[in-house]
Amino acid sequence: MDWQGQKLAEHLMQIMLLASAVVAFVTGYAMSSFQMMMLIYAGGVVLTTLITVPNWPFFNRHPLNWLDPSEAEKHPKPQVAVSSKKKPAKK
Amino acid sequence: MHSFGYRANALLTFAVTIVALMCAIASLSDNLNTPSPTAEIQVVNINWFQKQTHGNDEVSLTLNITADLQSLFTWNTKQLFIFIAAEYKTPKNALNQVSLWDAIIPAKESAKFSIHTSNKYRFIDQGHNLRGKEFNLTLHWHVMPKTGKMFADKIVMSGYRLPEEYR
Amino acid sequence: MGWIGIGESVRSLNIKQSLFQLITLGMIVSSALMLWKGLICLSGSESPVVVVLSGSMEPGFKKGDILFLHMSNEPIRAGEIVVFKVQGKQIPIVHRVIEVHERQEMGEVDLLTKGDSNPSDDRMLYARGQFWLKRQHIMGRAVGFLPYLGWATIIMTEQPIIKYILLGVLGLLIITSKDERHKFSAAKT
Repeated sequence: MDWQGQKLAEHLMQIMLLASAVVAFVTGYAMSSFQMMMLIYAGGVVLTTLITVPNWPFFNRHPLNWLDPSEAEKHPKPQVAVSSKKKPAKK
Repeated sequence: MHSFGYRANALLTFAVTIVALMCAIASLSDNLNTPSPTAEIQVVNINWFQKQTHGNDEVSLTLNITADLQSLFTWNTKQLFIFIAAEYKTPKNALNQVSLWDAIIPAKESAKFSIHTSNKYRFIDQGHNLRGKEFNLTLHWHVMPKTGKMFADKIVMSGYRLPEEYR
Repeated sequence: MGWIGIGESVRSLNIKQSLFQLITLGMIVSSALMLWKGLICLSGSESPVVVVLSGSMEPGFKKGDILFLHMSNEPIRAGEIVVFKVQGKQIPIVHRVIEVHERQEMGEVDLLTKGDSNPSDDRMLYARGQFWLKRQHIMGRAVGFLPYLGWATIIMTEQPIIKYILLGVLGLLIITSKDERHKFSAAKT
């Protein structure tokens, strides 16, 4: 997964769970069946899990450009003293 | 970068939190219900009325109980626990409540009924104050929810009186 | 990227890290404690949440259900579900009040309880020679409940080894997670 994909997965998860909850509650209340509400919600949870947890390809549409090992050697490693996390991303 | 485990964990936590929220809202929805229960109790017979060996009065009654408690049920109701208590005053005690009979109503359909029964639990006083005693018969109900807050209420029926003499 | 240095840098980092972890743990524990004590104050009961341990209140309350308790100064009346402890016994019992005899002079009250699905009342459970429960025996009234969620507590009480395994796993997780933050993984997740 890439950064964009991660954001998408997280948002999808939250929205889908909330939507399942709302649909489940409204349906259960209308049908006067507590069990129906729980069943619909459980179904929603399973669906959300299938869509947002595994590492699907559509989460990787903005792949990161990892530096080639041979390129990395040409650039000096950062100093630990400043404890910076800057990536020497030059190609 | 979030891992598979991280996403699964986040999803599970969020899902469970949402369940707790749904249960709370379902419980709150019970407040929207406006029940209109009815009940009537007749003392058909005083079976016997004695002073026990340890000095306390005891009476056995046969009751006819008719009630319609269907309006108490909501989608979030698991069962209705009902009981009938005889309530009376004595010189020593400001209030006495003695449960005579109880029942569990599991579904709306069985909430409308008429029953002929003698008291399930013994009606024993703390002392010997029951002769000629006036008492109330109160039908109490406790709504036990599938989740959340329990409700309880009652109907008080007064005007009952025990005989003046033992028999 | 942030590589962990070697030598003294590692050691000093590790000490700072461990202290940080310790403080974080301390904060979590004290917040939990504050929350628990706050709940006790709010509910007026020394045990605001209990787990149902027996089947004597079925089908209303099953073993493993969680009950929320509240204790107010309102008089106790027949029909209320109360939690009480018998003198000399550790386990709290959750049953319904079926008899109330309250004295004229405010205060003293005699109570008799019974489990919904028990055939007879609780006199046999009380201490020897005790025929009634008094107000001081009552820990609280049940006001609300959550199904099934108490099973974790029951399992951990009946099989303490599970508690130790869980703690061990938790400890291991804390120790191993220390490295993740400074470990840069070049592999795609």
